[in-house]
Amino acid sequence: MLTCKEASHLASKSLDAKLTWRERFGLCLHIAMCGLCRRYVRDLKKLRAMMKAAGNSGQALVPEAVKLSEASRQRIKQALSKALHPSK
Amino acid sequence: MTHEMSKPEQWLGLYGDVLYRYALSRVRNPDVAEDLVQETLLAGIKAKDNYAGQAAVQTWLIGILKHKIIDYFRKASREKTQEFDDRFATEEDDYFDQQGSWQIDLSSWSKPDKCLEQEQFIEVLQTCIDRLPPRMAQLFILRELDGMESEKICETLSISTLNNFWVMMSRVRVQLRHCLDLNWFGKQEL
Repeated sequence: MLTCKEASHLASKSLDAKLTWRERFGLCLHIAMCGLCRRYVRDLKKLRAMMKAAGNSGQALVPEAVKLSEASRQRIKQALSKALHPSK
Repeated sequence: MTHEMSKPEQWLGLYGDVLYRYALSRVRNPDVAEDLVQETLLAGIKAKDNYAGQAAVQTWLIGILKHKIIDYFRKASREKTQEFDDRFATEEDDYFDQQGSWQIDLSSWSKPDKCLEQEQFIEVLQTCIDRLPPRMAQLFILRELDGMESEKICETLSISTLNNFWVMMSRVRVQLRHCLDLNWFGKQEL
């Protein structure tokens, strides 16, 4: 029987790779008997879905109110105008 | 050529903040994110004659920014990462006891899909990601936010084996889940 630590590792691995059948069997068996790990497996999937939605919305990891500071905007502006008008 | 394309001097005003947020959500460092915006706009100016016109200018610029972000991650991963990875992967943690059983509470996550609509939740999520070691945050973001393949992440971040990658991902997930639990989900069900 796997420990919770081993099961949690396989639960995570299953999101990044195909488990071998031995691993899958071990995980299923453990989950059938362990409510906490069952919850953990479910939550990892929710975490993944959440991050995917965050990625799609483009800015969920940074609020829309976050903007370039005025100082950096000026700095970038200068760099760009040098590139656009090299003669000046 | 679209209207915006012909006026690169307007790009900063039109797309600067969007590019900045996109970069910041990945690199988690304002100075680096600002530099990446500048590099992206400069690269855009240089490459604007190659713009094929199928994508919106914003999408096109984000495409350039994506490459810049990966370059940045790659450079940041050149030094001393092996030692760090080994330590991170083998370090004892507080999540499991000696027998390998959970020794933290796992609260039940209700309605996580609604969370992203709440500004406070987004703040908590950011804080939890920013509490990870930067390299681990990069790993997680490339995998979960951008859906990059495991092999490509290993190559980008100089992670020596897939097995190390899985171990690191597993640790990041347990850590992040626990942080969200403590600061959000555990507080919701009173």
